[in-house]
This record gives sequence, structure tokens and C-alpha cells, in this order.
Amino acid sequence: MKKILLLLAISLPIAQRMDPLDLAIDELRTIVETASRSSQKVFVEDFTGLD
Amino acid sequence: MLNEFPETLFSIEWHSPSYTPAGSDFDLSALYSQRGGMYGVGGIPHSQWNGVQSTVGGYPNGNWDPMYSSFMNIYDGMVMDETPYEIDINGMFDQINDEVTYDVIVTMDADMSSTNQKVDIFVVEDNIWSYWGAVGIYHNARNVARDWVTTDGLDLTISSSGESQTFTGTFDVSDAWVSDSVKIIAVVQNYGNPKQIYQVNQININDMNPDVDDDGILNGDDNCMDVHNPNQSDVDGDGTGDVCDNCNDNVYVLGNINGDTDWSNWDGLAGSPVIDIFDLLTYVDMLESNEYSDCAAGIMDINGDGNLNLVDIWYLLQSIINGNN
Repeated sequence: MKKILLLLAISLPIAQRMDPLDLAIDELRTIVETASRSSQKVFVEDFTGLD
Repeated sequence: MLNEFPETLFSIEWHSPSYTPAGSDFDLSALYSQRGGMYGVGGIPHSQWNGVQSTVGGYPNGNWDPMYSSFMNIYDGMVMDETPYEIDINGMFDQINDEVTYDVIVTMDADMSSTNQKVDIFVVEDNIWSYWGAVGIYHNARNVARDWVTTDGLDLTISSSGESQTFTGTFDVSDAWVSDSVKIIAVVQNYGNPKQIYQVNQININDMNPDVDDDGILNGDDNCMDVHNPNQSDVDGDGTGDVCDNCNDNVYVLGNINGDTDWSNWDGLAGSPVIDIFDLLTYVDMLESNEYSDCAAGIMDINGDGNLNLVDIWYLLQSIINGNN
């Protein structure tokens, strides 16, 4: 039982410390994916009366 | 503005038949009516921005300056938005026969439904010195419509990131046009409501590259247009060159979900496909996660009912047990 508690005591802080890392990876993924997306160009159609 | 943003702002001028002298080569009355009808064009001048935002009138006596700020606001609100589409245009201008062969390639870097999505291709001539009768002045007309080669649009069938679709065709360049000023414009547009244009690109016909990957095979005949493959190897004969083809159709046959092969039966092209319990397990994994590999997606409908579900797994299990593979 003591061993289990010890393991928990060691692993819990480590596990919690991974959260910021996961968040950072997610953030990086979002940045990379967004940066690689295509950008919209603009098309204007003029209906006009030039001769 | 066209000169200010040459990489991100493109235009086309549709000339009203009511103001165009009959017999003029500007007179594309049927095309004008069809395109204008898409947007409900009545009074002119009418500008339609990316298919969804319009401005009507507003520059009496040909004075465009007051329109600049409102046009700029519209442009700023649209440009650089994210879109899943990229358009490349290439091809060849045969100056002897005055014929252009074009390849419009649409690629996707994000998913989007293909419902009502179309590709339209226009031909324009830039910088035509023309008379503006309404105000009695001559004017450098920009990107005047010369042809709409895909009236009613061509169906865009791709919908997933990484997919691409090529539209190939030809049109003639009239002797009346200055060929150095002729451009092709291609758009991805939704034909539902609203008629949103999701991407646009243009190229001068003299700037097109007839052999993008420089392998000696012209784009229209190349089984892998963007990758240098002069031998055009295509072992599974599916029309896509091996260097572009992630899925060998001789391996990815119905039921061989994980694509493994028995190389003891190598026939010089591929090992023979192995269909076993591991395919079943792979199938279950994919069904559970709802994520299918590109190669497996087309070979998972074991019972051919158009659905991927537990029934297919049952059929696959029966097939493996009975040794029917």
C-alpha cells in the first residue's frame, strides 16, 4: 500500500506538469495549421456600360 | 486598386449589351445576362465582390475617386481570409493555331463540403482603350470579359484536405484580341445561396507553363503533373503515376484493409495481398475511431451496400474463416 501511495505521490505531480506541455503542443499545432492554410483572394465582377 | 494589389485583387468587366454597340466584339449579351442573372443585376454600374457583396452606382461623371474608400473596406474585409482552396493555372498557348490549352488545378488544405461547389473559368483581355459613351471620354478598360468557357460551372467533387482536381480544356484566341493581354481567370464558387466565391486566381496566357515538373510530358498528358517522372510508371494502371500514387490498387484490394502483402508471391510489381485477422482488427479500429486511411477507404465496403459498418466486419470475418481470399 505504501508503495502505491509513493507511486501516486511521484506520478501525480509529473502528470500535472505535462498539461502545460500538451497545451503548448496544441497551440503550436494550431499555429502551424493556420499558417499553412490558403488565403482568400478577392474577385470583383463589374457589370458596366463602357462602349 | 488593381495596380495596388496585383497579387490579391482580380477583376472582370461584363459589358451591358444595352450600352454596347451591336456587332461590337464586346457584345457578349447572352453571357452578360446569365452572369448578371446570378446576382440579380439590374441597374449599372454594379460591382459584385466575391459573389456575395454588391455596390451599385455611385460614381457620376466617371469619377471613381469617392468610391475608393468603400471599395477598400470591402476588399479589406475579404482578403486573406482562410479558405480551403488554392488554384493553379497552367497550360500552353499554341500561337500558330491561336489555341490555348489550360489546366486549372484546385487543391485543398482543409476539409469543406463539395455540395454546390463549382469551378468557373473566364477569359479576359486587359487594357483595352475604349470609349465610355456615358461621360464622353476614352478609358483604359481592364480585364474585359471575352469568354466564359464553363457556363453553368464544372462540378468540384473534392472535399478533403490533400485532395486535388484538375480541369483541362481549350479555347480559341480571336484575331481581334491582343494576345499579350489575354488572361485566364478561374474561381471556386458555390452555386447555392449565397453565391460565395471561395478562391480565385489568374494568369496571362503567355506565362503558363506547359510542363510544370519539366519531365518532358505536357501537363495534360502527365500522370503526375507536379512531380518529375519521365518514365510515367503506373504499376496498377489506375492513371495516377506511381510517384503520386500512395495506394497501389494491386495491393489494396477489397478486404486488405492494412495493405500487407506476401512477398513470396512477388510478381515483379507487388506482393500478393494478404487478407487475415489483422485486417479485421484494423477495420474495427478504423470504425471505432471513424478515421480511415486514404488507401483503405475504398476497399472497406465488403458487402457492397454503400455503408461501412459492423455488417462489413461480419462479411470480412466469414470470408477469412472460409478462406475466400
